[in-house]
Amino acid sequence: MIATILDIITTAAILYIVASGLLLVFGVMKLINFAHGGLMTLGGYAAVIATAIGVNPWIGIPLAAIFGAIVGLGMERIVVRSLYNRPLDAILATWGLSIIIGQIITLVFDRGVHFAEPPIRGVVSLLGESYSTYRLVLTVLALLLGLGLTLILKGTSLGLSTRAVIMNEDLARGLGINSGLVRTVTFTLGSGLAAVAGALITPLSSVYPDMGTAWLISAFMLVLVSGSSLYSLAIASVVLGGAQVIVSGYFGAVLGGMTIAALAAVILRIRPQGFSYE
Amino acid sequence: MSDVNLKEWSQARHLRPRASPLMRMLVVATIALIGVGVTPFFIDAYSVNVLVRSMIYASIALSVDILWGYLGVLTFGQSAFFAAGAYVTALIFTYQGFSAELAFAALVIGIAVAVAMAGLVAFLAFWHGATDLYASVITLVLPIVVTQLLFSGGTFTGSSSGLTGFETVPLSIEAWFWVVGAWLVILTSAAWLYTRSDAGQLLVAIRENEQRCQYLGLNTSNIKAVIFLICASIGAIAGWMYANYTMVVAPEIAGFVFGTELLIWVALGGRGTLFGPVIGTLIIDYASAHLQGDFPFIWKLVIGVIFVSVIVALPRGLLPVASSSLNWLRSLVIKAQPKERTPMQLRQASERSSTAANEGGGAALVVSGVEKRFGSLKVLSGIDFEATYGEIVSLVGPNGAGKTTLMTCIADGLKRSGGTISVAGVDIGHRPPNQCVRLGVGRKFQMANVFDTLTVGECLQIARARLDGLSKWHKSGICNLPQSALHIIRATGLDNDLDVPAQVLSHGKKQALELAMVLALEPKVILLDEPTAGLTKAERTLIGTILTELAKTEQLCILLVEHDLDFVREISSRVIVLHQGRIVLNGSVDEVVNSELVKSVYAGSGH
Repeated sequence: MIATILDIITTAAILYIVASGLLLVFGVMKLINFAHGGLMTLGGYAAVIATAIGVNPWIGIPLAAIFGAIVGLGMERIVVRSLYNRPLDAILATWGLSIIIGQIITLVFDRGVHFAEPPIRGVVSLLGESYSTYRLVLTVLALLLGLGLTLILKGTSLGLSTRAVIMNEDLARGLGINSGLVRTVTFTLGSGLAAVAGALITPLSSVYPDMGTAWLISAFMLVLVSGSSLYSLAIASVVLGGAQVIVSGYFGAVLGGMTIAALAAVILRIRPQGFSYE
Repeated sequence: MSDVNLKEWSQARHLRPRASPLMRMLVVATIALIGVGVTPFFIDAYSVNVLVRSMIYASIALSVDILWGYLGVLTFGQSAFFAAGAYVTALIFTYQGFSAELAFAALVIGIAVAVAMAGLVAFLAFWHGATDLYASVITLVLPIVVTQLLFSGGTFTGSSSGLTGFETVPLSIEAWFWVVGAWLVILTSAAWLYTRSDAGQLLVAIRENEQRCQYLGLNTSNIKAVIFLICASIGAIAGWMYANYTMVVAPEIAGFVFGTELLIWVALGGRGTLFGPVIGTLIIDYASAHLQGDFPFIWKLVIGVIFVSVIVALPRGLLPVASSSLNWLRSLVIKAQPKERTPMQLRQASERSSTAANEGGGAALVVSGVEKRFGSLKVLSGIDFEATYGEIVSLVGPNGAGKTTLMTCIADGLKRSGGTISVAGVDIGHRPPNQCVRLGVGRKFQMANVFDTLTVGECLQIARARLDGLSKWHKSGICNLPQSALHIIRATGLDNDLDVPAQVLSHGKKQALELAMVLALEPKVILLDEPTAGLTKAERTLIGTILTELAKTEQLCILLVEHDLDFVREISSRVIVLHQGRIVLNGSVDEVVNSELVKSVYAGSGH
C-alpha cells in the first residue's frame, strides 16, 4: 500500500518534470513541440557523456540543459519561427527535427543501448518501506521545478511578459512587449527543460536513440489535459500517473503504457478543457 | 444580366472543346496499367520485390492524403488500420491454415475490424465542437493503444517479434506486382474522380470552413466519419496485401512512427494532390531500400532534413513545384492558353411543397424564456418574442446587448442555457446547427463567411448540397437555386463571377454571396447579422430592397441585427430593443424611434 502510494507520487513527479517544458512551450506559443522527445534523448546522452569522461554524474544535468538550450535556440530561429500560424505543420516539422536529432545521435554514438552513472544509488527506509532514494530525490526536484517556474512567471518582468503573451498575444504586442523574444526565450527554456528531464530519467531507463518517443506521447497527453497551467499539470500528473501505476500493477506494464494516452483521450472527450479550471 | 446574356456567355466559353476530365483520366490510367504490366520485364527481381511493398505503402499514403490533404484531418493513425488488416490475415493463416476461402475471409474480417476501430475513433474525434487538434490527438492515441494490445497478446499475436512462417496466397512476385499495381492505379483513379467531383469539393469546403458547412445544414461530423471509415478500409486492404506478400507481421507496422512516416511521404509528395503522395511514397521507399544498406543513418537523416525543409518552405510539397516548373517550361514553347473550366450553369430550382408561404397561420419563430449564461455571467435572460411569416424584425441595442448571442441560440439548439425556441411550430430542442437548418433556419454571419478557395459557383453548390445532393464522380456544372437566391446573384452581378474564387470578391459581393447561399437553403426564418456592415450606400439600398421583396413575395421571416438605425427604419416591420440581455422594447418602428428609453439606452445611461 505504502509502496503503491510512493510509486504514484514519484511517477507523478517524473511525469511533471518530463511534461513541464512541453507545457511551457504549448502555453506561450500554442505550439506542440514534437521535438520534445528528441531533446529528452539529447539530455540522456549528455548524462552518458558525463559518465564517459568520468566526472560527477550530477554534472550531466547542467550539461544536458546547455545542450538542450543551444539546440532549442537553433530550432526556434531556423524552423519553428516560420510556423507560428500553422500549428499542425509545426507538429510535423518538430517531429522531423526530432528525427534529425535522433539520427545525428545515432551517427555519433550507435544504435545500441548506453548507460549513464546514476547520481545516487541505494534505498532509504520510509514509513517502514525501503524505497529508491533517487525516485524520492526526483520528487523533491519536481517540487523545486514547479516552485521555480512559478516564481519566474510570477516574480520577474520576463514572467509578466510571458503571462501577458499567454493571455492575449495581440494585446501584449500592442503594449510593446517583444513577443518574438518571449517566444524565443520560452522555446529555449522549454528545450533545456526537456533535455534536463532526459538526463534525470537516465537512472530509470536505458539510453538509446529512440528513448524520447514513448515519453513524448505521455507528456503531450498530459499537456493537452492541463491547458497552459502548471497547477493543472500537477493535478493531471498525479491522476494519470496514478492510473498508470495502478493499471501496471494489476494488468502488467504493457497495458500500463497506454493508460495515460487512452485516459487522456477520454477525459478530453468528456471535458474538452481537461483539468484546467477556466 | 438577363438569362439570354448568361447563356451567350456560357456558350462563348464552350467554343474551344477539350477532352473531358473523365476521358483524360481513363487515358492516364490505361497508360499506367500498361506501365504496371510491362515493368517487371525490364527491371531486376530485387527492384520488383521492393516496388510491390512500395506500392502497398503508396495505397495507404493515398488514404492519408484524402484525410489530411483534402479533408484537413491530420491523422497519425492510418498505420493502426494497416496493422488490423495485416494481423487479422496473419492470425487466420497462422491458426487456421491457408485456403482461398480463408484468404477472402481474412480480407473481409480485416476490413470489418478496421472499420470498427475507425468507428470508435470517429465517435471520439468527430463531433460538433471538437477541434482539429483533438481529432489528431485521438488518431495519435489509436496506434499507441493498438501497439500495446499487440504486445500484450503474448504468443497469440507473437508479442514484440510478431508472426511469421504462415502460408499465404501463392502468387509469384511478378503476379503480386501486377495485382498491387492494378489496385493502386484503380484506387488512385477512383480517388481522383471523387476529389474532382462536386462531392469532393465538399471535403475542401469542410477543411476550409467547417462551421459554415454546419450552418448550411450539412452534418460535417458524419461526412468526416464516413470518409474516415472508407480510408480505414483502404488501410486494411493494404494490410491484407502486406501480410500476404511479405509473410511477416510485426507490431511496428501498427505504430505511431509508421503512421508519421506516412505523413512524411504525403507531405514530401504534396498533400492534396493524390499523385504527389503516391509518387513520393514510391520514390522514397524504393530509394530507401537501395540506399539504406549502404548509408543507413545518413539516408534517414537526409529524409528528415528534406522533410523539415519542405514543411517550412514548400508546405504544398514537391509535386506542385515540379508541375508548375513543367508548366513554365511548356509556356516558353507553346503560347499560354487560358485555363479551361467547365462553366457553371445556374438553374431555377423547382418549387418545394413546404415553402414558407404554405404554412399559413402560426408564428414562424417563437422564443420564450430564453436564457444564456457564461458561468455566473448572464448574457440573455427572459427573452420572449414571436415573429410571423413575411415580417422583418430588427434587433437593435448597444454592443454587448446580446444580439449576436440571441442569433446563435436560435441557430444552434445546444447554445442556450434555458427556455424554448420553436421554428415553424417545431421546438428546436438541443438540435445542432445542421438540424436547425432542416427546420428552416438560415444564418448569415457578421463577417462574410464563405469558402475562400472555392469558386462562387462551387460555394452555391455546397449550399444546395443538403437539398440536391452532390455528384460523387464528376463536376455537374449545374446549380439549382431558388428564385430568391438567383435574384440576388443577378442583381449584384455575381453571375459574372461564378468561376472566380470567393476570396477575390469585393467585401460587398462576399456579403451578397453569403446571403445567396443562405437563401439557397430555402429557409423559413433567416437570421442576418449586420448584413450591411461595411457596404456602400448603393449596396445597402440594394440589399434593403431585396430583403423587403423577399419578406413580401417569399413570406420569409427575417430577423436582422443592425446598428444602422436609418436602415432599420426603412425596412423593418417591427423593432426589438435589447439592452443588457433583456428586451426593453418590442414595437413598431415609430414607437421605437420616438421612445425616450431607447435614446437613453443608446446614450449609455438606461437602466
